[in-house]
Amino acid sequence: MNGERQEITPDRAAASPAARIEAILLVSPQPVPLPALLSATALPEPEAREAIEELKSRYSPAASGIVLREVAGGFQLATNPLCSAAVERFREEARPAPLSGAAHEVLSCVLYLGPLTRAAINAARGVNSDAVVRNLIDRNLLIEAGHDQNRPGTPALLDVTEDFLLAAGARNRDDFPALDDIVDPEEISRVRERVGRLDGETDRLESTQKGGKE
Amino acid sequence: MTADPTSTEQPGGGRALAAFTVELDVYSGPYEGLLALILKDELEIFEVPLRELVTLYRDTNPPGPPGESPGALERDTDFVDSATSLVLLKGRALVPTAEVEGEEAEDEAPSPQDLEERLVTYLKIRRGAEALAERFAQNAGLYASGHFLRPRPERLVVGKERLAKAARRAFSRTAEPKVSHLGPITVTLQELAALIRTSLVRGPLSFEDLVRDMDRLRSAVAFSAALSMAAEGRLTLSQSEPFGPLTLEPTE
Repeated sequence: MNGERQEITPDRAAASPAARIEAILLVSPQPVPLPALLSATALPEPEAREAIEELKSRYSPAASGIVLREVAGGFQLATNPLCSAAVERFREEARPAPLSGAAHEVLSCVLYLGPLTRAAINAARGVNSDAVVRNLIDRNLLIEAGHDQNRPGTPALLDVTEDFLLAAGARNRDDFPALDDIVDPEEISRVRERVGRLDGETDRLESTQKGGKE
Repeated sequence: MTADPTSTEQPGGGRALAAFTVELDVYSGPYEGLLALILKDELEIFEVPLRELVTLYRDTNPPGPPGESPGALERDTDFVDSATSLVLLKGRALVPTAEVEGEEAEDEAPSPQDLEERLVTYLKIRRGAEALAERFAQNAGLYASGHFLRPRPERLVVGKERLAKAARRAFSRTAEPKVSHLGPITVTLQELAALIRTSLVRGPLSFEDLVRDMDRLRSAVAFSAALSMAAEGRLTLSQSEPFGPLTLEPTE
């Protein structure tokens, strides 16, 4: 000890860009968008992207208990799903019950046709979906994101949330395949054919009834 | 007819379905518990796969030779009874409400073209839902590394507008509620408390006897008076079973 005052400053040169990004992702519970990463690390974008690629390869699901996800408009460090059983045992908590078929249908409606009102969801599914919607709002997968000013009573418009993107492992809404690409065109043709046949049957029945009356 | 799906009591007093436990995605435990949760609206009937439930029951209780399994008929009957009620409940819950979008609110049957479009849209939604279910399953079991941090007190910022709104609310007088629709006061809590006190001098008193000659308003106020007196420790309320006869007993 010579009495000289030592200035303690973080040695920026010692922390690599990947290390800095890794540290920020470690403490963040939500995905961190790239601009926020750039701002916190003071890194230029190309260097940050390079560091993220380095982290991605370091945290590959085959080799690590931690994975780097690009979800919900940002980057997130999360545990590897292969280790989920051990994590759940350690945290003494069960994984939330999986969603029902009805809940997936409501989410599909809102994702592809939304934002939608509750009435529009009911109309699209042909059944009352209010309870399912309530459950999805409780689970923070749907949110009232505005109001339909063109309808009487300005009903709430429902949209999917960031938690929905996280649960689906999607970067954003465009990360889902287009609705037309999911359905086999042959399947659609079969539906059209059946409706056509039903229509023909109805016509035939009506003409038979008319003939009977005459 | 709407049967109470929780009534699984047997004539002999035992519960025929007490031993039946179910293992579903949304619930795991005794079947009777599942019924109770549905009735209390703590579990959405939409979420309960009824077909799976029936299959589970049939697998758990396969039909045996007649006479070999005593109580099987009662058990099966109880199950059919409760399952039918569940189907009815689910059916009712699924009926769309009268609130239909705009011009579609008419009672007319949809045209074939309209029906075709609706079915095609629904088919797409259905396939979208299946794809979503797959994605959800693939992304389950991922736990974020960080934990939510509590905001530091100095970081809590209250905007000017919010502050002004809160101040307005704090310093403004609450508007007097309108009472013009209320009729004149004909009975008071004190009157009925006095009546209860007098009646209790003779010993324990049945609430039914107390309110026998009273109208609904007086009965309700009498009940409220009895509750207040019980809260103050001036009498004891006892009831042997839910909805059973209520007895008022003096504490001294």
